[in-house]
Amino acid sequence: MASKHLAAAFRRTSRLRTLSTASTAAAHPLPSAEAYDDGDGISMKGVKIAGRPLYLDMQATSPLDPRVLDAMLPYNLSRYGNPHSRTHLYGWESDAAVEAARAQVAALINASPKEIVFTSGATEANNISVKGVMNFYKDKKRHIITTQTEHKCVLDSCRHLQQQGFDVTYLPVGPDGLVDLDQLRSTVRSDTGLVSVMMVNNEIGVIQPMEEIGKICKEFNVPLHTDAAQALGKIPIDVEKMNVSLMSLSGHKIYGPKGVGALYMRRRPRIRVEPQMNGGGQERGIRSGTVPTPLVVGMGAACELAMREMEYDERWINKLQERLLSGITARLDGVVVNGSTERRYVGNLNLSFAYVEGESLLMGLKEVAVSSGSACTSASLEPSYVLRALGVDEDMAHTSIRFGIGRFTTEAEIDRAIELTVNQVEKLREMSPLYEMVKEGIDIKSIQWAQH
Amino acid sequence: MTSAVPPPVRSEVLLLFRSLLRTSREFADYNIREYTKRRTIDAFRQNRDLSDPSAVVAAFSDGKSQLEVARRQVIVHSLYAPKVKSVMEIKH
Repeated sequence: MASKHLAAAFRRTSRLRTLSTASTAAAHPLPSAEAYDDGDGISMKGVKIAGRPLYLDMQATSPLDPRVLDAMLPYNLSRYGNPHSRTHLYGWESDAAVEAARAQVAALINASPKEIVFTSGATEANNISVKGVMNFYKDKKRHIITTQTEHKCVLDSCRHLQQQGFDVTYLPVGPDGLVDLDQLRSTVRSDTGLVSVMMVNNEIGVIQPMEEIGKICKEFNVPLHTDAAQALGKIPIDVEKMNVSLMSLSGHKIYGPKGVGALYMRRRPRIRVEPQMNGGGQERGIRSGTVPTPLVVGMGAACELAMREMEYDERWINKLQERLLSGITARLDGVVVNGSTERRYVGNLNLSFAYVEGESLLMGLKEVAVSSGSACTSASLEPSYVLRALGVDEDMAHTSIRFGIGRFTTEAEIDRAIELTVNQVEKLREMSPLYEMVKEGIDIKSIQWAQH
Repeated sequence: MTSAVPPPVRSEVLLLFRSLLRTSREFADYNIREYTKRRTIDAFRQNRDLSDPSAVVAAFSDGKSQLEVARRQVIVHSLYAPKVKSVMEIKH
């Protein structure tokens, strides 16, 4: 029955295809008169391309899975109640949806639903964890340990605490991006209040040894916080095995909506935080503010999907990553993978191309949506601090490209990306006098450049 | 308790498979279209040798609900399909 209605609705909407959306309505004030003009292409910021680029930037954000959108839509249409309204159906059904989503998120990390607090994203969860924990225990604990490759929001929160008088140790990482466990062990003090290490790095995709770090933290009885925004739904996470006290989760990295995230807070033993958002006491007082039901339902649906599809996605993404890497290295030399090759998430491939300038490489790759450095640091001209912490040379750090592969990436897209990247790198190298010198056998590092 | 649902016959399963593939072809977005096709084929292939009748019934009803979701989302995506297609769909 319903399918007949759907089929009829679809036939009706096919005729509505010529309706333009709001963005084109501004440029073309008469919507129905315009026909499709597929040969036109897009022109933006001085760049003209024939079609929408193929998307290989999954670490920046991911597309909404249609199944997630399907779960979210009713709460944007008829079920628009505030989940904190206790007196009518709208509130009750909204609250039921929020609690169901909470259970879905908790199931993915082997936690109890009572330990999940919804926030506006992983950045907010990181802020609550770092600043909230240290401010709560500020009389006894004055020291934080973190790494040099953390996300900007963690580093910025630590810097804020430093200005308030706390001590922060930024642990260096090895050239493979992994934390040295012995160094961590020797850095822990009696007044260490928090250790914060991100599970999967957003720039290089390296997976830190969380279980070993958790063991060290348990030994010294220090709470462990981890930013699992890039890890959720991609690698198996078990808060019991990793002995994690606080974990930041993000919705839009696992094919969920943007603007929502969650904070896992352990109940046994209980970790306390000072809230950063004060107000009506929602989310057990940790994060006041109306819980956005559609977004939260979307995150829950995305987590449940991730639990079901994790193995299948990993097999597919692994296959694509191997294809991409072998396709590029078969035709180019001087390609370096940044970060450990064993302990890495398969969907993140950060490559540096020697003797090529990064910005010009990106300008030539306008049909592929990739990023160089992370989205957070791309506003400045500095090379990424993560690559600098790895010990990568300045020139190699500038030419790094991060390929992000995801659930919806196809083999054809990988082949096209290989083609475009190899062509562009070869073109740039042909123009490069440095590369000519290298091919003649001159060692670039030994050159004495003339000072004018 | 409810009475046991009879497991679907071969023709019903094939009809569901074909409907899912047909629906996936209608997605306006290149990536979602390819994913839905691939996922359908792989899921049916993986469940081909299920012997336990309750598992077969569960997988079949899951497939039917996925079909409904797909049909709805095809409509939603077509309402907001971008004017310009992906580079992958444009003749090279």
